[in-house]
Amino acid sequence: MKKSFISVLAAILFLCATAVLILASCSSEGSHGIELQSEDDISGLRVATVAGSCYDIDLSPRTDISLSLFNTASDMLQALLNHQADVIVDDETIFNSEIRRDNRIRIACKGSKLFPTALTFRKDEADIAETFNAVQRRMHEDGSMEQLKLFWLTDEYLEEKVHTHIPPEESGEPLRVASIVNMAPLAFMVEDDWFGLETDLVRQLAKELKRPLDIKLYEAASGLMALSSGQVDVLIGGLFITPERQETFIFADPYHSYRSAYFVLDTEAEESGAGFWQKIGKSLEKNLITEKRWKYITSGLWETVKITLLSIFFGAILGAGICAMTRSSRKWIRSVAGFYNWLMAGIPMLVLLLILFYVVFAKSGIDPTLVAVVAFALNFASGASDVYNSSLDSVPQGQTEAGLALGFTKLQTFLRIVFPQALTRGIPLFQGQCISLLKGTSIVGYIAIQDLTRAGDLIRSRTFDAFVPLLVVTVIYFILAWLLGLLIRSAYPKKHVL
Amino acid sequence: MITVKHLQKAYHNPDGSTFTVLKDINCEIGPGEVISIIGPSGTGKSTFLRALNLLDPPTGGEILFGGENILARKYPVHKLRLRMGMVFQSFNLFEHMTVLENVMYAPVTILKKGKDAARSEALALLRKVGMAEKADVLPSSLSGGQKQRVAIARCLAMNPEAILFDEPTSALDPTMVGEVLSVMRQLAKEGMTMLIVTHEMKFARDVSTRIFFMYDGYIHEDGTPDQIFNNPRRSATKAFVQRIRKEVFEVDTDNFDFLGMETSINRFCIKYNIAGKSDSALSLIRMLLPVCMETGHRLTIRITYSELSEEASLDFMLEGADPSTLQAPYTSTRVEWKKAEALCQRTVEETTSRGYRVKFIL
Repeated sequence: MKKSFISVLAAILFLCATAVLILASCSSEGSHGIELQSEDDISGLRVATVAGSCYDIDLSPRTDISLSLFNTASDMLQALLNHQADVIVDDETIFNSEIRRDNRIRIACKGSKLFPTALTFRKDEADIAETFNAVQRRMHEDGSMEQLKLFWLTDEYLEEKVHTHIPPEESGEPLRVASIVNMAPLAFMVEDDWFGLETDLVRQLAKELKRPLDIKLYEAASGLMALSSGQVDVLIGGLFITPERQETFIFADPYHSYRSAYFVLDTEAEESGAGFWQKIGKSLEKNLITEKRWKYITSGLWETVKITLLSIFFGAILGAGICAMTRSSRKWIRSVAGFYNWLMAGIPMLVLLLILFYVVFAKSGIDPTLVAVVAFALNFASGASDVYNSSLDSVPQGQTEAGLALGFTKLQTFLRIVFPQALTRGIPLFQGQCISLLKGTSIVGYIAIQDLTRAGDLIRSRTFDAFVPLLVVTVIYFILAWLLGLLIRSAYPKKHVL
Repeated sequence: MITVKHLQKAYHNPDGSTFTVLKDINCEIGPGEVISIIGPSGTGKSTFLRALNLLDPPTGGEILFGGENILARKYPVHKLRLRMGMVFQSFNLFEHMTVLENVMYAPVTILKKGKDAARSEALALLRKVGMAEKADVLPSSLSGGQKQRVAIARCLAMNPEAILFDEPTSALDPTMVGEVLSVMRQLAKEGMTMLIVTHEMKFARDVSTRIFFMYDGYIHEDGTPDQIFNNPRRSATKAFVQRIRKEVFEVDTDNFDFLGMETSINRFCIKYNIAGKSDSALSLIRMLLPVCMETGHRLTIRITYSELSEEASLDFMLEGADPSTLQAPYTSTRVEWKKAEALCQRTVEETTSRGYRVKFIL
């Protein structure tokens, strides 16, 4: 009872601290707005852009600016709002007028260069790329491409503007698509469906191929890996054409050339009159209610719980096997177990996950959740076997001898005398392992699983709001860890054996 | 009841060599016998005991228990152990059970006794060893002597035909040895067959029907307590039983830990059952230490006890001194000396090559 009270107290404290920080960052009216006449004026400024984007490639040779690279537009925007960066360089379409108004940022100037962008295909599927080019040519001819671009790329894009009118194919092998962004206007999710300019293009391709469409959200780097390892057929999300990428992939004909824009804080813009609580309320609504975004949280929660519990279950069993092997009287069995533990201790969890998904099970088409369970169970087994070993070692040898001397068989002595004592000592350690596994599952987003953390990211990338999604996710992890602890502590042996 | 023939036990070292602890053990143990196994450390006393109930399986020879060869391939070892209990040096009570559960657990789970019957039997045994009051506490809150008494009760609860005691008092504080030994005395009186590895010579002499003196992996001498202690036939036995227990303190600087020495002397006296002599030993030291320190010679104090003759003494050795050292000009010292002599039975003075020694027979 006391423990749960303390954890609730800690959660409240954490919440208050975060709120204070947010308030502080809201009220700090630091420097004046930055004036940029042209793109050459960024000299000496802290520039933010998306890692691996054409702006990254374009700007990284410059030594007169300090360039920070971010994974998503929402992270970048947060950096600008927190005064960690002075200017954002990205597509002019990335922050529409509504987002600019809400976050009090403006376009300082536009760039002079154009960056051609296209859908990306696998080298060994050149025929699909060819089909797609034919589709694009036809759309150019009948003017539907122009219409599509007008629809999505005008600055006045609004949330209600979703665009889907092609009924999907029901049967056949799906065309597997990796999107490396969840962001209007290129490709974004509303509830369970995908919308956006590149989404519409890929829909046209699927219609042409008479195949159903299966779009999954990937990290940029893992999306490229998924494409090269054959887990997906097409990559969307505004990938720019570079010679290096052309060596590995096939780019279709560019459908558009994007112009860059330089976004800065708009200090002149009026602050919305809303008070703190109104702001929080609005933020909650925007992040959880609009487009039923809470559904990402619930499905992500289920995914996290599923992966955690299954990994603990299988890992605990495998760990018992490893533990038995390390206690074997045969040297070679001990060395096999030792090698396994050595291997698992040396591989970072994320690397293990990526190896299993993109190398070992790359071509097998196994459900990513299953791959995650395998990876976490393998890793957990090693930790669990250590826990078992140290718990069993902590029971003195004399206990076994006393059991044997009383007339118990070896098995009875283990089960009735040694095991209950080891259990009592091992449970706190085991609980620690389980909770770090729970928290460790937050990396499964790298293999396109939408877990709890990823759910927060998805919402963040759509609402450009860090506070509410991260807070909600944090609180849920707190509660999960607490419940998991309760579950494990319920395994304590009974106080009286008779 | 137990017949041991050519018993051997060898350990294989990691480097490939073998170390033979038990070389050739032969003996015959009848029902109701109380046998103490004595001997220097490392001669295989405990190994022999642990070989008998196969906790350390022997590597050669034969053990017959009630006429059956317990080293036969198919012999049910756990059934043997039901009939032959064991009490350990480190008690080994089950730490996750209460005292009562410790005693009744095996009867209930192995012998399938009813819980109520097992409980009343267990309580009766605990009363016998004086531990019924603590029936519901966990072992961790007991003293060493109390734990060992519970361990004996746990062993008795299985109704064994014989009990092996592996140094039952060696891990105990000297003040607690007595309570465990009196429980064992009681058992011996009731006719329990007992094999006891022990360093308690007085106990061994008083209680045993027979004594095994173990030396170098053999039962070197086997006989009645009177024979082993008073007329040992072999020189190793004689050297062992006549050996003198001692503790030496070198008082070389003013920084010497005098209080630590007093504690050690107290412990020594309790350990060898001469607690009554510790007061006079400490008085002697307090009286004579300043006198000896004043002379400026290096002082060595030694307390000795012979288990055989039961004679204890306290020696003061002044290095490089001679009898005149404690005479003039230190006139006061002689007065102290006279007082000191009144505290002991007699004194022996001797001059050796190392210096001048005064021995107080306590």
